[in-house]
Amino acid sequence: MTRVVVIGAGVAGLVAAIRLADGGARVALLNKGTGGLQLGQGTIDILGYSPDRVERPLEALQAFAQANPRHPYATLDAECVRAGTGYLQELLGPALLVGDPDVNLQLPTAAGAIRPTALVPPSMAAGGCVSGANFVIVGLRQLKDFYPELVAGNLARTDLPGGGRLSARAAMLDFPAREGEVDSNALTYARALDDPAYRRRFARAVKALVGEGETVGLPAVLGLDDHDAWTDIADQIGAPVFEIPLPPPSVPGLRLNRALTARAKTSGVRMVPGSKVTGFRASGGSVNSVQLAVAGGPRDFVADAFLLATGGFESGALHADSYHNVHESVFDLPLRIPQGHLVHGDYWGDPQPLFTLGVETEPSMLVRHPDGDAVYDNLYAAGGILAGATRWQEKSGEGIALASAVRAADSILATAASVATSQGAAS
Amino acid sequence: MVSDPHSATECADENAIISRIQADAVELTGGYFVATEVDDPAWGDDWAKGATETRVPFEEVSVADVLKAEPRLNPKISRAFKVQDGSVDGWQLVWGAANSAKQYGAQILTYHAVTKIERDGDRVSQVVCTDVKTGEEVRINTNFVLNCAAAWGGQIAHMAGCPDVQVVPGAGIMIAMNHRLTNSVVNRLTYPADGDILVPVHTVCIIGTTDQKADDPDQLKIDWDEVQQMMDCGELLVPGFRKARAIHAWAGARPLVKDSRVGSGDTRHMSRGMSIIDHSDRDGLKGLLTIAGGKLTTYRLMAEKVVDAMCTQLDDPRPCRTATENVPGSESGKNYVITHRLEEREHDRFEEQILCECELMSRGMFTRALVQQPKGSFDDLRRQLRLGMGPCQGGFCSLRATGVALQTEHIDIERATGLMRLFLKNRWIGIWPILYGDQVRQTALDNWIFQGTLDVEHLPGPTHEEVV
Repeated sequence: MTRVVVIGAGVAGLVAAIRLADGGARVALLNKGTGGLQLGQGTIDILGYSPDRVERPLEALQAFAQANPRHPYATLDAECVRAGTGYLQELLGPALLVGDPDVNLQLPTAAGAIRPTALVPPSMAAGGCVSGANFVIVGLRQLKDFYPELVAGNLARTDLPGGGRLSARAAMLDFPAREGEVDSNALTYARALDDPAYRRRFARAVKALVGEGETVGLPAVLGLDDHDAWTDIADQIGAPVFEIPLPPPSVPGLRLNRALTARAKTSGVRMVPGSKVTGFRASGGSVNSVQLAVAGGPRDFVADAFLLATGGFESGALHADSYHNVHESVFDLPLRIPQGHLVHGDYWGDPQPLFTLGVETEPSMLVRHPDGDAVYDNLYAAGGILAGATRWQEKSGEGIALASAVRAADSILATAASVATSQGAAS
Repeated sequence: MVSDPHSATECADENAIISRIQADAVELTGGYFVATEVDDPAWGDDWAKGATETRVPFEEVSVADVLKAEPRLNPKISRAFKVQDGSVDGWQLVWGAANSAKQYGAQILTYHAVTKIERDGDRVSQVVCTDVKTGEEVRINTNFVLNCAAAWGGQIAHMAGCPDVQVVPGAGIMIAMNHRLTNSVVNRLTYPADGDILVPVHTVCIIGTTDQKADDPDQLKIDWDEVQQMMDCGELLVPGFRKARAIHAWAGARPLVKDSRVGSGDTRHMSRGMSIIDHSDRDGLKGLLTIAGGKLTTYRLMAEKVVDAMCTQLDDPRPCRTATENVPGSESGKNYVITHRLEEREHDRFEEQILCECELMSRGMFTRALVQQPKGSFDDLRRQLRLGMGPCQGGFCSLRATGVALQTEHIDIERATGLMRLFLKNRWIGIWPILYGDQVRQTALDNWIFQGTLDVEHLPGPTHEEVV
């Protein structure tokens, strides 16, 4: 049985670990902190802007890759992305993820922008910004990261991507998550709304604000562990309801994170959270083990293959020192570093070169020297660590992560199978 | 020796006055002058002699004592002097003075750019300016103008037809680190050089500063080389400084009056003492005095001197009382302490939301400031409230400020959205020059929030971009 260590528990690490375990590998997943899903919008982006707004992401990928030959999508093509998103849909099921990777939905953000994204939790699906839509956006007085006036005001003055306008108005609810608390975050509300009794009172209060024919936009706090909380609320209100993602902590992201973590455990992935990988051993062109800093001293994790899914600068996987020397934090891998200044002063201008920095891979996702050979014959990479993308601008993060995670997992399993075959032939 | 002896005495005296009359803007941190491993300890004797002559109180202390008080300072320090020092919130200082002036009937027109000073014969008669928020022209009739425009003083004098007032902008950068590396002001015990002071202010500490002759005080750059220079100096004072987190940088221009005794390229050693230019002598124009030079600590004294000069000319002599009268907000005479806001939030945490966790700014603080400045930009409010000035640099509070401002109905949706866009853009001006280390990580998170989750780049376009 091949042994694999996956480092990082974002969407790439979790999905790769599950696919490897289900494919017969013995998998340990090492992660320092909660993965990036809880920081994002909780939907699955493939490609939102190229740089114009994208309606059909998989169709747009080929032209996008041609225009950006050093982008991860230059090797991870539409079929690969389809395989990745399809696999995630299979893992999560329609209770957590709906939509079609060929078509972007255009959903409201908490600033009132209209954001393209591909697969979404069903609790967001009714928020499509189409001509003639009639929204009431409801905020909560005690939740400071959501302002319905801002959302409704901007939505109502936007010429919609598909043409026309929608109508949106704001309403405010004074409804504490906990008795006497004026400053509650999204997670506190989500936990409160897991309770059916609280939910009934909440739904009744919202219902009083909703007019005939209106679709109700609410902050994305409608239940954490109870995935039916939002439908229960919609039923009690008697109107379609949709969630709007907030800045972190992201409740929809946490739902995905929790579901994937539970699924990984079911698949037999050994989860080792809370410690940092601080070193590794390599010999003969292969990584032999990584060291995890745990109580009592470093602990060796030996494996046949390693998958680096640690993310980018946001997670600390990449670090730029005060001289602008950039390092990858686990293996100090060679990086693709753009020429010239890494940062410029135009906030609304071109992507900052610094954030396109990362590792290069072969099509198998084996990490290679920039434009050169593989660094080790058993070290793979997936997700935010890959060079060439500005994910937050392109709205491409999950698509890259899923496609590269599935590709890397399949490469590792295929190599293990061929080794097993050749060993079988030799014996 | 002290290179600017007159200025040193004035500073020490004014330090005591300002700490008293503007107590809410001053934290009495105390300070040290320390000789680092590259500084000549013998220079301390010259410094001590100069300090004695100029009546600046000091005490030589052992390196061990300094390190006990400031354990992060470099143990290779060879010599140290303890001085009375404090750290000033420049914005609070300005607001204190402004509010005091208003109590005496002053009208303060911010965002008004002077375009011309008219004369009637040999006397000033009118100041013409443009309200840059509305574009309207405003004319103010007067028979006396005090030109206190600092680095812009030469430009203002020129508008009154008084050419060649040489105020050379000496540009210096400053970098805020994400917390206090020291709790006292730490100066290098050396001939004034670049990167010679570390000042704790509120929740951060600031390292300064460089000195580059600038052509235009409106166009000050922060070069990567200068940032590197500050880092090297920081490292001398506090080992590991480069691994600490820089959160923001900015540049200011010293208004240095050109002095024929030094070359015009060396702005640091031009007079930082104040000069008053009487344009009736110099240019035959009555009713215009220009004051230039000086430094922040001596600002009150500069005001006293120039107003006294005006009163003499107007034959209206009165004693100046500003040295003895506390400004509004400082009536209690209690100096600022860093725990102020923590205490306030302890009292109101069950009633008020905290909009900016980094700086403990409550919703009420924000809405009250907005009532006072309904046309203010978020940067205007920031300068009163420290909105967005902490480690996350607006990552979480910018959206909240926008939403709350919109709810108060002082502004409409287009202005609210425009102000958020402007605030993000303006924060970036001070972030990108020092973007390294953990602030890169923070910026990546902020980008995930604003561009990733909120998609602010695709908000409906403004009919015009907010600029002020």
